Amino acid sequence: MVAHTGSARAARTARRLNAPRPALVEGHADGTPRRVNRQDVAVVREEWRVVDRWWTDEPVDRRYFDVVLETGENAVVFRDDNGSWFTQRA
Amino acid sequence: MIAAVVIPAFDLRAALRLRPGLQAKPAALAPLPGKEPLVGSVTGAAQAQGVRPGMRLGEALAMCPGLELVEQDPATAEQAWEEILRRLEDSGFAVEPTEAGTVYFETKGVERLYGGVEPALRRALASVGSSWDARAGAADRRFAALAAANVARPGQALIVSDDRTRSFLAPLPLTLLPLERERYEQLEELGIRTIGQLAGLPGGAVAERLGPAGHRAWSLAGNDPAEQDGRVKPRRPATALHETLEFPEAVGNDLTLRRGLGVLVDRLLARPERAGRPPRKVAVWARLVGGASWRRTVTLREPTADPARLRTALGPKLAELPAPALKLRLEICELAEHTGEQLELLAAEGEVVRGKLREGLRQVRAAVGAGGVSTVVEVAPWSRIPEARALLVPRDD
Repeated sequence: MVAHTGSARAARTARRLNAPRPALVEGHADGTPRRVNRQDVAVVREEWRVVDRWWTDEPVDRRYFDVVLETGENAVVFRDDNGSWFTQRA
Repeated sequence: MIAAVVIPAFDLRAALRLRPGLQAKPAALAPLPGKEPLVGSVTGAAQAQGVRPGMRLGEALAMCPGLELVEQDPATAEQAWEEILRRLEDSGFAVEPTEAGTVYFETKGVERLYGGVEPALRRALASVGSSWDARAGAADRRFAALAAANVARPGQALIVSDDRTRSFLAPLPLTLLPLERERYEQLEELGIRTIGQLAGLPGGAVAERLGPAGHRAWSLAGNDPAEQDGRVKPRRPATALHETLEFPEAVGNDLTLRRGLGVLVDRLLARPERAGRPPRKVAVWARLVGGASWRRTVTLREPTADPARLRTALGPKLAELPAPALKLRLEICELAEHTGEQLELLAAEGEVVRGKLREGLRQVRAAVGAGGVSTVVEVAPWSRIPEARALLVPRDD
């Protein structure tokens, strides 16, 4: 696996694989995504919820959507409990 | 005999092909952006007003306020030069180009074909074309042939026999010798202005004062008949395979350019003339908005006809385009001789595979720096949170 080079320090630090990346998502009134990164959503294939670590200071509460965009591309996006949208390979 | 054909100020002539009216006016090649502001080749009219190639731009403009600066057009020059070389090769000359505007060939193989050295040279000049004002020289030595071509008039062929070489070279200026500018100045300060004057000096003193380059120039000046300034090594005729894509409007978008390149790669690889041979050297050429041109050549580490690998090798070059492109062309400059690839009889395994992997990783690390190679370590594959399942741990072993 080849990664981008960063600073020498950053280069030697272990980092999370598949960390969420901020996404530009416009949603419907019911909370489902309408546009993802300026591409229209053709169909929402699946939807699920992840609630975890509720016993810690950093609880996880995410609503995931597996969508197909109009371009034919597949994408997985989620909305966290703060209302921010992210994209991630599930 | 060795023959030389010279086209003075070839780069400027090539750049002026689309503006022939400027040939008779004071004009000079403009410096390249980001480079030292020195003018390139100049026209005869500019030279008559005191402008010299390599002069500072400010000085040249002060000397000749009406000086027209012509934008360099390296791709057109390269293309025009290639066309000239092909015409010479079509006429039977096995050419060795040294720089754009200078080419050597042996007359031995074509003397009988054309009926002597002079008819052969005339044929070579005709192959180059009259619009280039080419001139030819022939002698038993390479340097003498070049000197003869440099002093000949446009369209003239000058032949120097071996016994006359020394007397022919004697009155010629030192600038014909391959020396650095400081060395010319040094010699001029000593009152030495001609090749004959240099040849008259003791060799040991020249070597001591001017170093090895000076001694070589002294030998070329005619002092050492045993000094062989190299036989002609003909080039292997280039392959003429190219595909062009013209855009309806100027394109600067990387994605569109890459797609265009992908189409060109597919089209070029489908050409039957390739006869299954993989390209070894390819060039991407673009005509830019405003008329300038751009060209990059890539020599592949391993010849390949795999479209994906060719796209990977050529794609990053497109990022160097200085302006949007109107036309994109892909050329195969050289094809490999083989049509197949020697595969291993037995698949590598064990230590051999690990050795190959280590070498591959070493190369990646050398290319992208420390931390460029990581291992995926699963820490909680069962987790419902995707980013908690694995870590990327850098490895430098």
